Amino acid sequence: MQMRADQQDWSQTRISPLPGWITVSPRPTIDEASFLSGAALAHLNTVVTRDDLPQAIWRQRLALRAAAASVQISGRFETTQDLRDAVMFLRDTDQAGPAGEIYLSWRRAVTRSKLHDDMQARLLAARGAPVNAAAEACAQLLDDAPRREVDALILADAVLARALRWRSIVPLLAAGVSRRDLRKRGDDLRLAFHHALLKPVRDAVQLAADLDRRAGRLRLVAPKLRARGSDAAVTLFLTQDAVTPGMLTSLRSDRSARRFCDRLVELGAARELSGRDTFRMYGL
Amino acid sequence: MTAKLDRELDDLPPAQRWREWMRRVEAVLFASATPVAREDLARVIGQGVSVELVVDDLSEQLSDRPYELARVTGGWMLRTRPAYADVIRAAADVGQQLIDLREFEIAVLAAIAYHQPITRDGLAEIFGKEISRDLIGRLHEQGLIGTGPRSPRRGAPYTYVTTEKFLVAFDLTSLQDLPDAEQLGDAGLRSAAG
Repeated sequence: MQMRADQQDWSQTRISPLPGWITVSPRPTIDEASFLSGAALAHLNTVVTRDDLPQAIWRQRLALRAAAASVQISGRFETTQDLRDAVMFLRDTDQAGPAGEIYLSWRRAVTRSKLHDDMQARLLAARGAPVNAAAEACAQLLDDAPRREVDALILADAVLARALRWRSIVPLLAAGVSRRDLRKRGDDLRLAFHHALLKPVRDAVQLAADLDRRAGRLRLVAPKLRARGSDAAVTLFLTQDAVTPGMLTSLRSDRSARRFCDRLVELGAARELSGRDTFRMYGL
Repeated sequence: MTAKLDRELDDLPPAQRWREWMRRVEAVLFASATPVAREDLARVIGQGVSVELVVDDLSEQLSDRPYELARVTGGWMLRTRPAYADVIRAAADVGQQLIDLREFEIAVLAAIAYHQPITRDGLAEIFGKEISRDLIGRLHEQGLIGTGPRSPRRGAPYTYVTTEKFLVAFDLTSLQDLPDAEQLGDAGLRSAAG
């Protein structure tokens, strides 16, 4: 049976979905919300700690979602694809532009071991239960610098990840909070944060299952790819959110790189992500 | 390489330590012709000390000076207060430093600011006519715009973005200080599609 693109076929993955009761409550009290967020994060922990998942892509895609949400929070209109384009077609001497910079900040946050500026010190100073500590750190940064909404959201996810002893940041909160939430303080902000985590966690688990299935498919067809240099190309597909034929230098020529990408799509092991006829990019 | 800077100043009493941090920040800003980023200022004061708080106190201290501490994108700079513009012009030839823009150039600059990253084609769509390379070149020369990522279209044209100097020149802390889309929409200056 053909699955709709937005449905998840859980039968083919080793990851179980977030239990449905976690995300049904429309207006939980702070007690309910903190219970639910605890359940959600404990479930997510089983995904975060698995080494056999394409963790790098998972974090990059979550960073992209967080960036798209942050772009909206900062009052801009760029789409996810705009953000991908801004970063993929950027050269060293160019500037990414405001939205591209937001995406770059998120990407750096998930790949580097330290945060920039004063954020590392704020991260290390954070204390308390994970979600409350994240809310507190976020509020403090915004009190000192109300315009640094994106930094505050990155810091909040960093505090959360550190309190949960995760190896690197898993971008979650930005996709769940609104600009109005960020103006709340104290218990109101804590409630907003607990509640804001639930749907992003559900989506992150679903994304992990989705990527797990796609990565499995790619590994399955990999032996059929007989082009010279295809091993290195497959590795790139298993670690990068998006790949342009130009990045596949192991295949020696642009033409064979393009053919390789087309072949992966044909085999159902990769997708074209941009929806364009030119300047295409591919990924799991 | 100079000796490692003593950032913490543990041997000073707290009040004096704070004043020294303020002096350090002022010295760094005074010495720099361009805005100084938070992370650079953070390097001369105690680990984890809020740059914002030091800057706020310094700003207050400078309140009766003819120059001020201005917040610009991602950092701060010292600059003379606008009220002294005529005085400075009367005494020194600073014509070279002034930004000289014609009305239409400002319109194009504004369009870039709102729609960045944007290509020349994108600008042509907004204005209903070709925007000359010369005009873009002049904005570029004055350091108000820079090149952004190439656009994924035929010919991979350059996109243009505004620079830090643009923000400084128009006294904006960040692009979020531009009148927002809603205000412009109400004034009939921006299409709903954005």
